[in-house]
Amino acid sequence: MTTLAIYSNKGGVGKTTTAVNLSYLAAQTGAKTLICDLDPQSSATYYFRVKPKLKSGAKGFIKGGKPVYKSVKGTDYENLDLLPAEFSLRNLDVTFDKMKRSKMRLKKILYPFKCEYNFIILDCPVTIGILAENIFNAVDYTLVPLIPTTLSVRTHRQLLSFCKKKKYDVEKIYTFFSMVDRHKKMHLELMQRVVREFNGVLKSLIPYLAQIEKMGIYREPVAVSSPGSVASKSYQNLWDKVQNTILYPDKGKSERSNR
Amino acid sequence: MRTHVKYKLPDDSDKQLTVRKLADQFAIKKEPTVDEKFTIYDTFDWRLYNKSLVLYGTGHRLFLRKLAKDEMMNSVEISSRPVFMWDFPDGELKNQLAPIIKMRALLKLVELHSRSVPHRILNQNEKTVARLAHEEIRLSTNKNAPALATYLWLKPVKGYPKYLRNLAKRIEEAGLTICKEEDIYFKALEAVDKKPGDYSAKVNIQLDPDMRADEATKIILRFLLHVMRINEAYIEKDLDTEFLHDFRVAIRRTRSALGQIKYVFPTETTNRFKENFAFVGKLSNDLRDLDVYLLNEATYKAMLSPILQDDIDPLFDYLRKKRSTALHNVMRGLKTKKYAKILKDWEVFLNEPHQGSETAVNAELPVIDLARKRIYKKYRDVVKTGNRILDNAEDEMLHVLRIECKKLRYLMEFFCSLFLRKKINILIEQLKKLQDNLGDFNDLCIQQEYLLKITKELPASHQQTKKTLVAIGSLIGTLDRERQQIKDAFANTFTDFASPTNQKLFRELFSSQAQEGDA
Repeated sequence: MTTLAIYSNKGGVGKTTTAVNLSYLAAQTGAKTLICDLDPQSSATYYFRVKPKLKSGAKGFIKGGKPVYKSVKGTDYENLDLLPAEFSLRNLDVTFDKMKRSKMRLKKILYPFKCEYNFIILDCPVTIGILAENIFNAVDYTLVPLIPTTLSVRTHRQLLSFCKKKKYDVEKIYTFFSMVDRHKKMHLELMQRVVREFNGVLKSLIPYLAQIEKMGIYREPVAVSSPGSVASKSYQNLWDKVQNTILYPDKGKSERSNR
Repeated sequence: MRTHVKYKLPDDSDKQLTVRKLADQFAIKKEPTVDEKFTIYDTFDWRLYNKSLVLYGTGHRLFLRKLAKDEMMNSVEISSRPVFMWDFPDGELKNQLAPIIKMRALLKLVELHSRSVPHRILNQNEKTVARLAHEEIRLSTNKNAPALATYLWLKPVKGYPKYLRNLAKRIEEAGLTICKEEDIYFKALEAVDKKPGDYSAKVNIQLDPDMRADEATKIILRFLLHVMRINEAYIEKDLDTEFLHDFRVAIRRTRSALGQIKYVFPTETTNRFKENFAFVGKLSNDLRDLDVYLLNEATYKAMLSPILQDDIDPLFDYLRKKRSTALHNVMRGLKTKKYAKILKDWEVFLNEPHQGSETAVNAELPVIDLARKRIYKKYRDVVKTGNRILDNAEDEMLHVLRIECKKLRYLMEFFCSLFLRKKINILIEQLKKLQDNLGDFNDLCIQQEYLLKITKELPASHQQTKKTLVAIGSLIGTLDRERQQIKDAFANTFTDFASPTNQKLFRELFSSQAQEGDA
């Protein structure tokens, strides 16, 4: 069982679309997959056409066990289940903070799913507080979508120094380029700089595409709504890189740069 | 409730009627038809069926499920048709199947063609909340061929139990019934005229205690002849090594029965057939030996240190070449007039009515009496020989004991239907442990000798051969150490077998005195 967080401490970078598309592709390989929507905006839940509702609300979620287990819904796709989010999850940071072992709460909540699923993907909200630490403690790897802009790169530096300070293993944090506009000279230049500066940059990028934005209309992964499209191929390529580099690095040649 | 529910559709029903009726109450979306081919596999001796397992392949995947259950236990991706366990990709499925299937080849039992029309049941958000599939299963891809079975599947989607309950209610209202126990496996095999479990090399006959001993013996022998005939036909096809093995075991059992079930036939007849079957057995000695070495290839390699592991390859290449000659020789032997005549005469003899003879003094005895007498006598022989070995462990005596145990085992198996199954099985299990010890010891002795002999046959000039010889030498050393360990374990194994508890059980079941005492 592997747990992967799609995380960023910056908003609007394509976390949810990535989580939705990767979890779909994972399930397509036959792996029992669970996508956990942790974002109170519940966008991933919306994409899968599921009601943003948890059994006993945020309280039930925090308590863990049966209420969480019973909140899980099957999606339209074989092997893929969803743990929905709801608006009341907005206070997770504060609530966890007040509890004992405040940084291990999420790990405990997700524990019962470990036996049932081969693969768990977390769609995370923007956070760099207690919830972020809960995420780092709960997952095997973290995947950060990175838009090649100055501010994004700056935020990523902040994340890495935060993790180093808090003694989280930065080797387990991977990034890939998201919402890339190849016509912008700055995007291209920054990408080259990023590959030189950071470790664990996957050689895969998701372009800025209308197809991906339209996911909100179709409410389906791009591989379903527009199979064979550039968007669909880009996510397939990203998933291949995730498998070869992060999940099963021994099977293929390691693609991790600068290591 | 998460399990799939399977409903049986009546053969003559309007196929889509149920789905159409449901469409009045639910939003249903039809999906493209899915055509799939399923191939069901098992070994010739039904090893999977005997464990209530069904192995089937579709596309590039193999699936394992329980008989009469629809849930999958395990699956694995494959690139070619599965035949032997050693060709399977490593993983859970292999771990689960390997101890059951062992060295047997998987044969295609039947090919099924499924055509299913999936439907999704949607809620207001157009989210799938349940699935329905209408499935027809046929023996061919021809749509007009009669279907073996037609099912309506109701598949739940996690988290929407209300919809599922509602749908199930509607379907049942439409007159469909759940079929729980029915398995397409049986229907499919019946359609191709195959009977699951119809072959087993194990002696499986029912004898009547008061039957004449010669008649009972003929029943046993007819069964063994049947096993020979079945396997003989497959030896040339060379699908796996066990057709020959079962064939040989049936011959050995026949010889043992002729020797051990004494004086039920005229002495002259018994002696003639004993000789004949000794001849038939010898025809395939070489081939079986080679089979055993080649089956052990991986074990042998594992015994060698990694630097020598590749050097042993030429030996196995050489043995493989020898094997193809040996198989050819066996086939020639089985096609001779002499062989055909032996089996024909035997068949005639087994089917002719009993004739009185002065030498067949036990012929009219009730079989139960003769069985008790012979088994108890053999048991005492085994104990006697074993005790002598405890005093003085000579290799040759271990060999003698091994043969005696085998005779005892065969007798117990021939006659097991005459005794309390539970009790005799306990004793057979105990005997098996002793036999395993003795068998391993004997195998190692023979293997050592054989390897030593084979070194003379390998061409001596090549550099590669020298390396191979070093590897063989190392192997012989390892085998020798193992042999010593097994020999050391003999005393304990035998003492367990000859324990007072077992002795009492043997006496209870087989001693004539004990029986008289009971009466």
